[in-house]
Amino acid sequence: MLRFPTPDGRPPRSLVLVALILAGLLIASAPLVEVNPRSLVGAGPRLLEFLGHLWVMPDWSYLPDLGRRMLETIEMAVIATAIALVLSLPLAVLSARTVSPHPWVFALGRSLLALIRALPELVWALVFVSAVGLGPLPGILALAVVTVGFMGKVFAEAIEVVDPRPVEGVAAHGARRWQVLGFAVLPQALPDLLGSTLYVLDHNVRAAAILGLVGAGGIGYDMVMAMRLFEYDRLVPIGAAIWLCVTLLDRASHRLRARVING
Amino acid sequence: MAEPPVLPPRPRSWLPAWAAAALALLYAAGHDLELSFEDLAYGLDDMVEYFGRYRAPDFAGVPGMLVLMMQTLATAFWGTMLAIVLGGLLAPLAARNLSPARWTYLTARELLNLMRAMPDLLLALVFVAALGLGPLPGVLALGVHTAGFLGKFCAESMERVEPGVYDGLAATGATLPQRIMYAAWPSVLREAAGYVLVILDRNVRMGAVLGLVGAGGIGLALHETLRLFDYARSSALILVMLVTILAMDALSSSLRRRLG
Repeated sequence: MLRFPTPDGRPPRSLVLVALILAGLLIASAPLVEVNPRSLVGAGPRLLEFLGHLWVMPDWSYLPDLGRRMLETIEMAVIATAIALVLSLPLAVLSARTVSPHPWVFALGRSLLALIRALPELVWALVFVSAVGLGPLPGILALAVVTVGFMGKVFAEAIEVVDPRPVEGVAAHGARRWQVLGFAVLPQALPDLLGSTLYVLDHNVRAAAILGLVGAGGIGYDMVMAMRLFEYDRLVPIGAAIWLCVTLLDRASHRLRARVING
Repeated sequence: MAEPPVLPPRPRSWLPAWAAAALALLYAAGHDLELSFEDLAYGLDDMVEYFGRYRAPDFAGVPGMLVLMMQTLATAFWGTMLAIVLGGLLAPLAARNLSPARWTYLTARELLNLMRAMPDLLLALVFVAALGLGPLPGVLALGVHTAGFLGKFCAESMERVEPGVYDGLAATGATLPQRIMYAAWPSVLREAAGYVLVILDRNVRMGAVLGLVGAGGIGLALHETLRLFDYARSSALILVMLVTILAMDALSSSLRRRLG
């Protein structure tokens, strides 16, 4: 029996209050998301029916194309991550409270990073596709922009928490600003930087897989077409390929990150 | 003549080799994608001109946009609640020290991995195909995808809780549901609330683009105005999105700071 460990055995008042508020918000916003008992009851059977469609033999002749597209997706993610790495390091140095040359530069840098990280990759991809045309290039640009915003912030936070003693030690020898950065600040932040770069790479592969929706290269385009044309025998291998790539990369980066952070 | 001091051997650095390999890999990838940075350089002027077209936002349609934005926010909220329910049920099963058997642990973990690996737009596509257009498929897509994250993070937090907390409760003869309710959840509540805020923030961002696949919200409007080359309205839509997302971001990070 679940009896709460309070004197009267009832759930604590704060818990009940939070639950009531959340339930109220859910009910109040239900019309906006068009949730009502009828739609919910109808959803179950339709989902099951759709899952029945997915029970098909994959289209084996499509596999070489699929491999090609997946490779393109991963290449896009890798290039975008590399570009963002190069661009975000100087930005991070400028927007880390401890090493920023001036408080205004710090404030400006942080706001800039928050601004470019705010919009999702797909919005940037839409805009870049309109600007430079279809293909992987707009996808890479979109991924790189958002990643600069994210990495810049994470790197700046990693730089802020380094041990100040080596920094003082190097500075006490009369090292210049960039020498202090290169010999005391960055080496200490390096494991963190590598760890978050791996995390970002992981995220970017997943993001690159959907950029094709707006014509920005990668597997996403094939996915949308398979969906529109009801080619379930292609949709299933596409889903499986994305799952496989993301999972393998996730495992690999988890291992590598554990090794880097524990030295 | 003084002996020269014996220096320790120079440390061997593999950095140049790694850097060269990384550059070669990048070059190969760029070559394979047929990227040319000349195109980019020549296109730079065009891009500056292109972004200039967004200069004059047309705020006439803002009330309509705000309604769509509200729909996006509601989708994100419902998705987050769905994630709390799904992830909350799976998290104790996916925690090594709580799961009743090895197979439940492995099944729950793999299920969470699968939910996490599927991009939410792909899920939204699938749910739109199954349930028709509207925000409901968006709610399901966001909920399923982020339940994977929430479940994984909460499970890892539960694994980090001191074993004494569980042992103390087990010593009183508590059953598994009681240990989950009175030891696991209260110990990780603070961390879990932080994860929920992160996920809510992320869902608002992704909710803004779900419209692209017909799952409701402000994304559909942006897609249409860009298709029609209506830069004034597109720019107003992007501004509405930007302001909302930044506000949510600030709210979520200030709440997280108060959680400590």
